[in-house]
Amino acid sequence: MAKVFEPTIKAMEFINIGKRVPKLDAWDKVQGKTMYIHDVKLPRMLHGKILWSKYPHARIVSIDTSKAEQLPGVRAVITGYNTPEIRCGFIKDNPVLKKDKVRQYRDEVAAVAADTLEIAEKAVKLIDVAYEELPAVFDPEEAMQEGAPLIHEDKGSNVLKLPWKMICGDVEEGRKQADYIVEETFRLPFVTHCCLGTSGCVAQFDAKGNLTVYSPTQIRFLAHKDFQEAMKALGLKDKTVKVIQTAIGGGFGSKLDTYPFEFITIMLAYYSGRAVKLVYTREEEFFASPGRQPVRAKISQGCTREGKLTFRDIEMILDNGAYTSWGATTPSVMMMPISSLYQVPNIRYVAKCVHTNNIYSTAMRGYGNPQATFAIESQIDTLAEKAGFDPWQFRMINRNRPGEVTPQKFEITSCGMKECLEAVKEKLQWDEKRGKSNGRGVGIASLIHVGGGARIYKSDGCGTILKLDDFGKASLLSSASDMGQGSDTILAMIVAEELGLNVEDVTVIMKDTDLEIWDAGAHASRSTFVAGNSALYAARKAKEEILEFAATMLKEPKENLYLRDRKVFSCNNPEATMDIDKLLRAAHFRTNGRQIVVSEFYDPPTVMLDREMKGNFSAAYTYGVHGVEVEVDQETGQIKILKYIIAMDVGRALNPMAVEGQLEGGGAMGLGYSLMEELHLEKGKLLNGNFLDYKILTFPDMPNIDSVIVETIDEKGPFGAKGIGEPPLVGSAPAIANAVWDAVGVRIRSLPITPEKIVAALEEKQRSNS
Amino acid sequence: MRRFTYHEPDSLTGAIALLEENGAKAKLLAGGTDLIIEIKQEAKTPDHLVSLRSVPGLQDMEYSNRELSFGAMVTHRMIEKSELIREKFSLLSDAVDNLGSVQVRNVATIGGNLCSAAPSADTAAPVMALQATLVVKGPAGERRIPIEDFFKGPGKTALEPAEILCCISIPALPEGAASCYIKHARRKAMDLPLLGIAVIIVPDDNIVCREARIALTLAGPIPFRATKAEAFVTGKPLSRQIWEQAGEIAVSESNPRTSFRTTAEYRKKMICALIPRAAEVALQRINRAWMKG
Repeated sequence: MAKVFEPTIKAMEFINIGKRVPKLDAWDKVQGKTMYIHDVKLPRMLHGKILWSKYPHARIVSIDTSKAEQLPGVRAVITGYNTPEIRCGFIKDNPVLKKDKVRQYRDEVAAVAADTLEIAEKAVKLIDVAYEELPAVFDPEEAMQEGAPLIHEDKGSNVLKLPWKMICGDVEEGRKQADYIVEETFRLPFVTHCCLGTSGCVAQFDAKGNLTVYSPTQIRFLAHKDFQEAMKALGLKDKTVKVIQTAIGGGFGSKLDTYPFEFITIMLAYYSGRAVKLVYTREEEFFASPGRQPVRAKISQGCTREGKLTFRDIEMILDNGAYTSWGATTPSVMMMPISSLYQVPNIRYVAKCVHTNNIYSTAMRGYGNPQATFAIESQIDTLAEKAGFDPWQFRMINRNRPGEVTPQKFEITSCGMKECLEAVKEKLQWDEKRGKSNGRGVGIASLIHVGGGARIYKSDGCGTILKLDDFGKASLLSSASDMGQGSDTILAMIVAEELGLNVEDVTVIMKDTDLEIWDAGAHASRSTFVAGNSALYAARKAKEEILEFAATMLKEPKENLYLRDRKVFSCNNPEATMDIDKLLRAAHFRTNGRQIVVSEFYDPPTVMLDREMKGNFSAAYTYGVHGVEVEVDQETGQIKILKYIIAMDVGRALNPMAVEGQLEGGGAMGLGYSLMEELHLEKGKLLNGNFLDYKILTFPDMPNIDSVIVETIDEKGPFGAKGIGEPPLVGSAPAIANAVWDAVGVRIRSLPITPEKIVAALEEKQRSNS
Repeated sequence: MRRFTYHEPDSLTGAIALLEENGAKAKLLAGGTDLIIEIKQEAKTPDHLVSLRSVPGLQDMEYSNRELSFGAMVTHRMIEKSELIREKFSLLSDAVDNLGSVQVRNVATIGGNLCSAAPSADTAAPVMALQATLVVKGPAGERRIPIEDFFKGPGKTALEPAEILCCISIPALPEGAASCYIKHARRKAMDLPLLGIAVIIVPDDNIVCREARIALTLAGPIPFRATKAEAFVTGKPLSRQIWEQAGEIAVSESNPRTSFRTTAEYRKKMICALIPRAAEVALQRINRAWMKG
């Protein structure tokens, strides 16, 4: 026992933080006990089905729903013509049911609610739509030309009016200062999230006209706002909306917006007077879910003889598809690596998002960063080589440092880029392995991402309500969203640490917009930092109250008391101790007693980007370095990953097991993006909407990932932690492209890096050599 | 999903009768790994499924009198687990090792793989190279179809209506033969080949090729033997150079297609690259290496 009382230093040691804690819901998930949207069943629930457009661009001449309406079991048939107009997307250019014309193959033309899914499927096929095909455009550069078919006539142009331009310093001056300049063009494909759980929702109106939506959304409070707005269109302005978040079967950005199918389900529920469930099939998930936007990037960078970068100049064209979701805003995040990955004094960046008749784009893990970093980091190698530098050394020269303010006015607090570079160099045996040109090669790529939230909205806050019961258990109502990334576990660990409880004593609830305070959603790798601080500060408030009461009970000064092992202790007096549950009961069951309930709303100390797209919009920045060794089969073009190292500066690893999970999962997703993933569209129509032809890595394809955790203990993060949800996939593609260059001397400037491209490039190289 | 009537006859004659009775409305069900998906996608819309599950003898495997014969309902997993096949017909083991996943291999049958006649069928090239004979039974009785006459086009076979493939019969390879099948695919599991190459080599004592068989899938609309390439290497030394030339000859015999999966051009390059490689792996299996020069 004496040990426990040894002094405050002991009490300062972490009990839960830094321990390997398996995800709290893991056992329920593997035992099939988790409630996904697919499992939700309400009394008298109907099933909804959407009729999708058969053309990429066509005028709707007429819609005849009479046959569908006559089918027994059909309870509602809706089209754009018999419902009020509801539009979605942040510039509201996407009518949830299309009227007059369709602009992409997946457009929602009509929808049905029926007693069974089979009847709904049958009914949808009975709807006759007459179309008149319109000329369509599928290439963003063609769509920008004079006379190209207009996707939205009212906009007057296919180029979106968005402020994607950033100038730092003087690029022309930077060009003059450069002794070496490289200019290249890179192309990035259309890919999709491949969530294990397909999209869907259940909507129900109560007898008073109040709406409840069950949804696996990543943004239940923003969805709440969108649904509330839709209520106006239905003439239900004064009624309430409640969003109940079911377990999320994978998000990766796909559930960061609200989509037509959700509003359609709401309308089906409204017009049928019944609960309606609408869940995508896997095929629908592939062709109807927006993906990550394809990008063409023209980039040039220059450096001095000494290897210092003098400028970076990037022009991009993004295929936005037919409508606008968050995909169109990814250039705002691309600005982050463009301005702040390495020290570059002069920067110019211009991006155009262009409407086409392709499937539209949304947010996807990394939010533009993978595309921008592929271009930047591939070219860093080329530039280093041209200037006569070892690419690792070149990165060391230009690396970011703690305490710097970047040209985009980001205030870098902690920065472990040097440590990450050093760790990867050593693990990769860079000096021994590099430059052999024998079919084996090594490559590295660095990355930066926001790690302390991102002030995209005027509030970047997150709320917490913490209740302690009479048994020493805590209920944590967090407004964060766990979509598998592990915030449930992290938040429980933070609260348990602060209150001297076991992790199992904390029940984490992330569920219901009626019960919880606002939150901006699970995006920008913000949950650990923002929801973590929110939970931490709530726990501190609760601790204050506990210790205050304990001080009166134990007759000890409050400053001497601390919580640990479900007890309160005094540093000075081994006799003065009490079990936490007893203490809480004593606080409750007395005259004027009460249970301890506290709330907290944490909003990080950041600003929104200004008109020049500058400002410290995150409270911390995460750095990382990917390193790979590849073997390239020069006959078949196949790439074998021999070694894969991901070093990430995570501030502090609150739960190293969860960090490794993020690094391995990100690595797998990054490798898929690098090597095999691509949605093939032919004239706007998806050709490979299944898991056979849309290739993600299988377990046998997955190399071991050597996770290196670098801790820099960020001053503002909860226990020093920074967010790492997205960045583990950002560096994969350029690291592999650089390794392929080192192995066989060909530079692949488009993803995925397929065997076909390597074989063609090797042949091209041979031709130009002979 | 569309509704259908499920039949599970306990004899082959019963199955044949059901197929005859229901004509085009009936489909034969073996492992179902292709058919059920096609029904779900409504690419096929049978009213009757006739399962071979309870027909006795269709999962038998036997090696006697220098002949391997096995029933059409033998699963890929059974072939994968057969030590005898791995030893004597290793290219057949190669073909099943990476087909789908363990779960798929547990139910997918070799008869189904052949009768679906997908251009990408993994067992097609090895079975072609092995000069299998297919025993089929129908309303008119039993007949034997040489494998080279079996595939008639993508999804089309020589089977007459109501005929059922019962047994695949494979003659033993000549003494000292070596074999290999390369499935060239993007992924290591859950994938179809972009190209399938089966090679059988019978070397004589002087490391000259006495006999060679080269069968290709996805190099044309149906699996085929590259007979010109085979003739070219026969009687010649087993050298890399000769087999590289054989690869080029095989390309001239091929007619691959371009799709989003890959290009005809890449498939042709892979025929060139992988024929010598398959031969090399086969030789390594009998502890032989290329002759120099």
